[in-house]
Amino acid sequence: MTQQLDLLDIQGNVLRAYGRFRYPAARYVFFNIRDGARGRDFVAALTRRVTTAVQWGEGPDKLPAPEWTLNVAFAYQGLKELDLPRESLIGFSPEFVAGMKDRRDILGDDGPSAPEHWDPIWQRNRETREHDVHVFVSINGLMPLPKDAEPAAIHAAVLEAQVRVEAGYRWLQDQLAACQGGVVQLGGHRGDDGDLLDYQDVKAVLDNGVPTSKEHFGYTDGIGDPVFEGVPYDADRINGRGKQLDNGQWAPLAAGEFLLGHTDEALEYPPAPSPLLLSRNGTYMIYRKLHENVGTFEKYLDEHGERYQGGKELLAAKFVGRWRDNGAPIVKAWDAASKARFDAELAALEKAHDSHGADQLLSNFTYDEDMSGGRCPFSAHIRRINPRASLELTRDEQPPAKVCGGFSVSKGAFDTPGALSNRRRILRRGLPYGEVKDRSRDDGNHGIVIMMLNADINRQFEFVQQQWINYGNDFKAGNDKEILLGNHSQSEHFPSKAVLQVDPNSDEAPYILPRLPRFVETRGGDYFFVPSLTALRMIAAGTVDPT
Amino acid sequence: MSNLSGNAYALTVLSPIKPGIVADEEIAYADKVRSILLGWNELKNSPMTAVPQTYLCRYFVLDNPYTESLPGGGALDTISDWLPVVPDWLRRAVMPAHDQLKSRYLVFSANVHVGPSGDIAPYLRGMWQAIRPQIESIWQYCYGFDEVKDADGFAAYIQRCALPASLFFVGSNDEALPEQLKALYIKQEFAKFAVANQGLPTATLRQHFRDFMTRIAPHELAAPTWEPGKYRLP
Repeated sequence: MTQQLDLLDIQGNVLRAYGRFRYPAARYVFFNIRDGARGRDFVAALTRRVTTAVQWGEGPDKLPAPEWTLNVAFAYQGLKELDLPRESLIGFSPEFVAGMKDRRDILGDDGPSAPEHWDPIWQRNRETREHDVHVFVSINGLMPLPKDAEPAAIHAAVLEAQVRVEAGYRWLQDQLAACQGGVVQLGGHRGDDGDLLDYQDVKAVLDNGVPTSKEHFGYTDGIGDPVFEGVPYDADRINGRGKQLDNGQWAPLAAGEFLLGHTDEALEYPPAPSPLLLSRNGTYMIYRKLHENVGTFEKYLDEHGERYQGGKELLAAKFVGRWRDNGAPIVKAWDAASKARFDAELAALEKAHDSHGADQLLSNFTYDEDMSGGRCPFSAHIRRINPRASLELTRDEQPPAKVCGGFSVSKGAFDTPGALSNRRRILRRGLPYGEVKDRSRDDGNHGIVIMMLNADINRQFEFVQQQWINYGNDFKAGNDKEILLGNHSQSEHFPSKAVLQVDPNSDEAPYILPRLPRFVETRGGDYFFVPSLTALRMIAAGTVDPT
Repeated sequence: MSNLSGNAYALTVLSPIKPGIVADEEIAYADKVRSILLGWNELKNSPMTAVPQTYLCRYFVLDNPYTESLPGGGALDTISDWLPVVPDWLRRAVMPAHDQLKSRYLVFSANVHVGPSGDIAPYLRGMWQAIRPQIESIWQYCYGFDEVKDADGFAAYIQRCALPASLFFVGSNDEALPEQLKALYIKQEFAKFAVANQGLPTATLRQHFRDFMTRIAPHELAAPTWEPGKYRLP
């Protein structure tokens, strides 16, 4: 029998990307605890309203989706202020204790991404006790079903979702007031025109008032999140999103890659604090605010789109590994003919409202036919953050048909095709923030707040960020960084570049992206622990007992 | 076990450090050696970059080995796990003894190019000629080093301290160091050339390539090239 997760014990944001469940807007709020006892009362009040991962809908064991969701997480300092016992605190991972700012060298947060450029709330974090970020609360607003399919009706529903976020926020303010100064809300989030706000608002990018799944560069976001054991609403989305087995079939990843207290891909329990009830069904969350340099992106894409033989849109697709218009993976749609085929297939599935079919069309692929990067470049976003089985590559042993540079899958070197990537998977949650008012400028208030969830920050998130995004070694790509997220160098002698490979059998020359600018800059963030509902109750009651 | 792989030589040297105290300082010889070695980290570049043909090297002071657990006792130990009838005194009797080192050691480990002769002595003589003061500053505290008076003496001394260990650094090939440094230089310059010239008409490209080849002078090992110890150009 396959594993059943205790959905009512797991926070809803761990298993669901709310944006995909008709929640197009959200607000993130951060608190500093001044008094441990009142802080625990605050946690108790929030816990009674926390949204779990319960199935939504009608029927037994299901609940209706709430008008606004609420989820809670803690930074290490917060857990300390809530008086968790020392014996429990020492069980948290060193990088969680140290925090994102301290890990900047590993994350590549240098130059314009360095902490001195972060939003004031994150600059001040972990400097003085009064400004430490202790508690994270997120509120997502549900969009009511629009009256009709007209953009005006849909837009009205989006506005209603924002009203619901406001309602959740007012509720949160009431709980805060009840703490009588024992908990303080931390401001200092940059908004429009340099305003400093008391919270971070995020919402889907709207097209004519209708929410899209695009971010500000125009890419479709949130496709192909990992699927792991015991998540009922992902049971039919395993292909391309779980792990690939020896026989080419797909299976869900082990729950322990994403939830503490469960066995992981190594059949071990991930390191976690004691007691088990504190950690089980909880996980670690990486909160990261990323500014998008839209002006730089447009200018670079225009300039090279003119020179690049395949044209601007193919070039944009090469950056990420997916086409901007519909998210088509470039390994399935690498030229005009294959793209047309893909588009027709996707349109047919969407017309038939076959969301499962569409998801599988977008997510279910491997790089087996593209081991030399001729279709999806080695430095493209999706290949770097989830290389699937393509890291098990080897030089062709019998090269007569292929010229130098041809790689193929290394058979038999590992137990399963995904052995090198299955332990580096990350759940991604997040929405864009701000609006782009002038596509020729970088300095507006626009970017994405991404929250990543994993059982081991160092093994999963930090590894991917350091080794796969900012280094090229594992991809035999020399010093090339991931094109979109890499912390590119503008140094005169060593400007960043990235090579767009071509089919080694073709006569085409590879295109080199010279002098890559920073498209994305870090604006702050930290590491959080997302406890289970049981753990929240224990923290609130002050009864965490590791003995 | 061979120290040779092609033209590369894997040198592993353990020189026992005497147990004395440095005159006028309250510091053991071994700790003094470690302190000098740590000081090398503060320099702009390692003294070893002045030693010709050094692919890679490492110095450290070996203290008593760090043991995480007792080693197993082989088959009998395993049987006793299954069959507790083996008396515990017998099981313990076959367990290996926990060894201690007789002294602390200066460990010098290097991968160097020695050429077809396979002889390490010329490399060691070159090392003496290049960095004699630094060699003396650390090896003076080792047993037997007071006999070393010249390059030949140093080569002989090091070879007496060497172990037959064949651990090779995979990041280098068989070529002499100047060849490898030149190859790295050309590789890097060629990448820059490819970036700067992509998409140009064939005739221009050819002209630029000829200029490029003249500038980088592929057969001139001395210059332009990388200096030893440098991992990137200024």
